[in-house]
Amino acid sequence: MSYVDAGYVVALLGLSGYAVSLLLRERAVSRRLRPGEGKVREIGASAGAETPAPADRSP
Amino acid sequence: MTALSRRRALALTGWLAVAAVAATVWLGLWVTPPDENMGDLVRLLYLHPPLAWVAFLAYGLSFLASVLYLWPRTRDLRLDRLAGASAEVGVVFTGLTLVTGSIWGRPTWGAWWTWDPLLTTTALLFVLYLGYLALRRVPGDPAGRARRSAIGALVAFVDVPIVYFSVDWWRSLHQAPSISLASRKMYVHGSMAWTLLLGFLAFTLLYAWLLGHRYRIARLAEREESSVLELALAERRDEAVEGAPAPVPADAVTGGGPGSPGVEMTPAGRSR
Repeated sequence: MSYVDAGYVVALLGLSGYAVSLLLRERAVSRRLRPGEGKVREIGASAGAETPAPADRSP
Repeated sequence: MTALSRRRALALTGWLAVAAVAATVWLGLWVTPPDENMGDLVRLLYLHPPLAWVAFLAYGLSFLASVLYLWPRTRDLRLDRLAGASAEVGVVFTGLTLVTGSIWGRPTWGAWWTWDPLLTTTALLFVLYLGYLALRRVPGDPAGRARRSAIGALVAFVDVPIVYFSVDWWRSLHQAPSISLASRKMYVHGSMAWTLLLGFLAFTLLYAWLLGHRYRIARLAEREESSVLELALAERRDEAVEGAPAPVPADAVTGGGPGSPGVEMTPAGRSR
């Protein structure tokens, strides 16, 4: 592999790796925030007065 | 601009960036001729200066957003978010500038690294902005953290003009810029010049796309952080209410039904 090829490989792999990591991070955070998944579900269930109480605590 | 049209514009920017980067690589590797002096190594020119340009652009935007945040009339946490997102993308581009420069330097100068003024100040820039990103992660209230980060961004930005002018100020191994902003001259011509300009455009588009996504992550993360804080507060309130003596339920006084004992009621502390 020549120096030129190495330069192109490093730059393109670096940029695409960062781009993919951003997309994965974005997907992970949006999934955690989606109602019914992750911590937000617990928040909605326990903190919101408008939200009904969790099933195990209702009579 | 609605959220949907913003997302579409960002997706379009992404596809344009991919097309432009692909065209730059194709022109750079297979279409443009080798240089009379540098030979095929000139092909790295279509990557290295555009990467450095985007790093400067990213730090410039981070600086501008930080100044606007510190200015009381324009203070807005969105500016702090923008400054942080832009700086992170800038750090990636600076790292790649250093690596591609090193790959170019090995066959040209005979060394992967020298303590040349331009190289040294660029490495310092990389470290300064890594420090800035670390500073942003120090816990604190959002306003205090944003203020501290904005000051950090101003301090880190001092190195940007030093990097740019280091070639003129000190004796440097590094060649002068291929496009001089001061004299408005280009030292590359023909297909080489067009490919270089396309490289600048391609990486700028890519920067815009990366910045859009990084900004969105920051916004979502802040929303998540505030939700988690809300959850923690609600749990503390629950614990406090459960630890206290049970209140006499209103139903017990007015004659509630047999299926509704007082201890099963939603505590008052949980209502808004």
